[in-house]
Amino acid sequence: MMERISLNQLGSLIVIFLIGSSPLFLLAIEAGKDAWLAVFVGMLCGLALLWGVNLAIYRYEPDMHLFEIMMKYLGKPAGYLLSVCYVFYFCYKSIRNVREFGDLSIIYLLPTTPLSAVMALICLTAGLSIVGGAAVFFRMAEFTIPVVIGIYALLFLLMAGTGLFNLDYIIPVFDEGLKPIWDAAFPETVSFPFGELVLFLMFWKLTDADRNAVTAIAVKCYLFSGLFITLTNLLIVAGMGKLAPAVTVPLMQLASSIEAARVLERIDPLVALLLFTGVMFKLTSYYLGAVIGIRYLTKLSHKTAVLIAGGIIYGGSFLFRSYMEHIWFGFVYNVKYHFPLFQIVFPIVLVMIVAFKNRRAGKEDA
Amino acid sequence: MSESTKSGIESGSDAVKALSADLDTNIKWLTGELGSEPDIVIRQLQVLRNKRAALVYISDISDNGLINSLVTSMLDESLKPDAGEFEEEPLQGLMLRSLSVGGIRKLDSLDHVLLAILEGCSVIMLDGFATAIAADTGGREKRGVEEPSSQTVVRGPKEGFTESVRTNTALIRAKIKSADLRMEYKLIGKRTRTTVVVVYMKGIADEQMIRDVSRRLDLIDTDSILESGYIEEFILGKTFTPFPLIQNTERPDAVAAGLLEGQFAIIVDGTPFVLLAPVTFVKFFQSSEDYYQRYDIASFLRLIRMSSFLVSMLFPSLYIAITTFHQEMLPTSLLISLAAQREGVPFPALIEAMIMELTFEILREAGVRMPRIIGSAISIVGALVLGQSAVQAGLVSAAMVIVVSFTAIASFVIPSVNMGSAARLIRFGMMFLAGSFGLFGIMAGLMVILAHMSGLRSFGVPYLTPLSPLVPGNLKDVFIRVPWWAMKKRPALFGKATARQGSAEPNAGNQGKSNGEGKGRR
Repeated sequence: MMERISLNQLGSLIVIFLIGSSPLFLLAIEAGKDAWLAVFVGMLCGLALLWGVNLAIYRYEPDMHLFEIMMKYLGKPAGYLLSVCYVFYFCYKSIRNVREFGDLSIIYLLPTTPLSAVMALICLTAGLSIVGGAAVFFRMAEFTIPVVIGIYALLFLLMAGTGLFNLDYIIPVFDEGLKPIWDAAFPETVSFPFGELVLFLMFWKLTDADRNAVTAIAVKCYLFSGLFITLTNLLIVAGMGKLAPAVTVPLMQLASSIEAARVLERIDPLVALLLFTGVMFKLTSYYLGAVIGIRYLTKLSHKTAVLIAGGIIYGGSFLFRSYMEHIWFGFVYNVKYHFPLFQIVFPIVLVMIVAFKNRRAGKEDA
Repeated sequence: MSESTKSGIESGSDAVKALSADLDTNIKWLTGELGSEPDIVIRQLQVLRNKRAALVYISDISDNGLINSLVTSMLDESLKPDAGEFEEEPLQGLMLRSLSVGGIRKLDSLDHVLLAILEGCSVIMLDGFATAIAADTGGREKRGVEEPSSQTVVRGPKEGFTESVRTNTALIRAKIKSADLRMEYKLIGKRTRTTVVVVYMKGIADEQMIRDVSRRLDLIDTDSILESGYIEEFILGKTFTPFPLIQNTERPDAVAAGLLEGQFAIIVDGTPFVLLAPVTFVKFFQSSEDYYQRYDIASFLRLIRMSSFLVSMLFPSLYIAITTFHQEMLPTSLLISLAAQREGVPFPALIEAMIMELTFEILREAGVRMPRIIGSAISIVGALVLGQSAVQAGLVSAAMVIVVSFTAIASFVIPSVNMGSAARLIRFGMMFLAGSFGLFGIMAGLMVILAHMSGLRSFGVPYLTPLSPLVPGNLKDVFIRVPWWAMKKRPALFGKATARQGSAEPNAGNQGKSNGEGKGRR
């Protein structure tokens, strides 16, 4: 029997998962100075997706995870096929994060260490975090979230305190109308980071609370992290202006400009660690999703599943030749064509089938 | 005496040997078993006018004063005019009228007679009866109640536990005068037959947990328990962790406080270290003094302790990581001075730190083992030869000596020695990670430790409570300690979160450390 998790732990993981790797990038670059507005719009779309699709599926079947629901409503062959696809999708998302994490570590922290060693350490850490079970990982998130949020708040305060933000970079808003904002928001920001909550279809059933409470906490935490991501983007644009799209990790660049009291001068390694904590949790969550999936599909033991998924993720993280190729592939192809399939199309189809069948069943009962 | 230990002992010997009605047979058997050592006394005497009796005891572990009065009372009995009244029931007569000790019990088998003698009882056997009487005359040389040597406080009670289980239970009873205070006695160890007492507050501690502990204690199958450390390892079983999952303390006030919060204590005869469980990680940073001092300074000290734990665990590895991989983090002037110091040092920072840390661990161990008289010699060698001249000879940098010394001092700030050792062990692992992966390695290490700690449980209580799972009501006594009048409820960690103050019961808030009256005036 799986250990149950509390609402607080679920909320913590939602927040840390959504924040995850998003502060690494300036999202919705195409929208220029209105990028943060595009993120906001993306967040609202994501909210609709979360409430109308993701949580709707959960509310119909609160005691099942995604794969069980697919098996029940789509039949064995189709459900199995789609489940395998989802396992690979989770692994692939994890792979992307491992690669991001590894490459950025090499850029910012460990220029001479081999990439394979760094990624091995990442995979090992992630594996050890979930080998104790889902509940342990959720407790880790609960422990970490106050620290992460606190340090981010401190960081933003320091940036504001040292006068890094320039309002001229963001006003006037809606300078070029609504069109570029919408174009940038959909589907990119919906798919990364907001639509990624599709993973939580694997986790909802682990909670011990009733569905209304879960829905409430999910929406609240989503809003909090959505606003947080919007704020981060706003600050990046306000701090860097037109330079922002040109650097690898804008927030890091901004942080290295902090100079306070001749002590806090070069804090970027610490900021790197902060960013990486988020990435770490994100990739581990996907890893966990893949592990739960593999266990369900193959009936293997937890430890074996952790090993298999770890192997896939570590091996897969060598798929890209360079960080540039990785980012390019991610933002140009995956975010536009592949991820929406898993995050938007399949869940919408699924929720329609589930709703339809349930309604019919309800009518037959009546 | 608990049933289980009795049966455990019996199954050890092949069959229960019944007492014989013939006194001489019994005495012969006993001499055969015990040998004729000089401290084994078999005193034959005549009681109730004409009955032959024997009093058997081991003089070294008996209270000779008690035995003298016992013998006197038995002999006096035969002089009393109505001594003949119990002709028919001499055994009953002895037990009812003429044994001048408190605790007596009847024994039926020779094995029990033997065990009773070994526990320090005097056994009285009457000729013609297959029943013996054990009188509790145990008493041995023991240390008086002294100030605890390992957990000292500036303010607070100065008494500490001793090696005697009776003294220890008395110290706890003296603190908590409540009928809810329960003590379960057990005998563990086939050969040592050590008294082990489980102490808890009925109505506060979780009953299921107490039953579980009791069961785990009964399952212990060993021939010796010499210290509470044995019990600790036996009842934890196969849990691999550097972190202590059971607290130990020499202080009765700490035990009383723990009992009142729903913990249970295990007292083991022969050691002043009493176990307290279940515990959480944060408990190890609380000293009983926190609750006696003003809350502002207590909170401040607690934060100091927690940062000391981090320093003791991470400082050398941070130094290694920053000087090896992230020099840009240092202010320029510091960087230049560090570089100048390290110029002549032949080793990389990791090796340098390892050498110094190991040196310190050796010095520390030497400090514990060596005789007090030559202590000053070691400190001169340690401080001057190893510290100063190693720097002057260019073997290690001065900064490294500072780092190692500060780490060492910080590791002594943690109130619990157990938790200090956990930090010591983790420190070395962290140093390797820092030497190979820099800050990133440290973060990965911390992540794994966090995962490990999140999975730990001490008797069912998650180790990181109340931080994860979050219990908001318990945060009043974690990083800070709020004033006593604000702690209205017991922490909900270990048992029932009953009201500590302001409840309808007149004396509910008046127990132990939360003294209702003193609080108002303070």
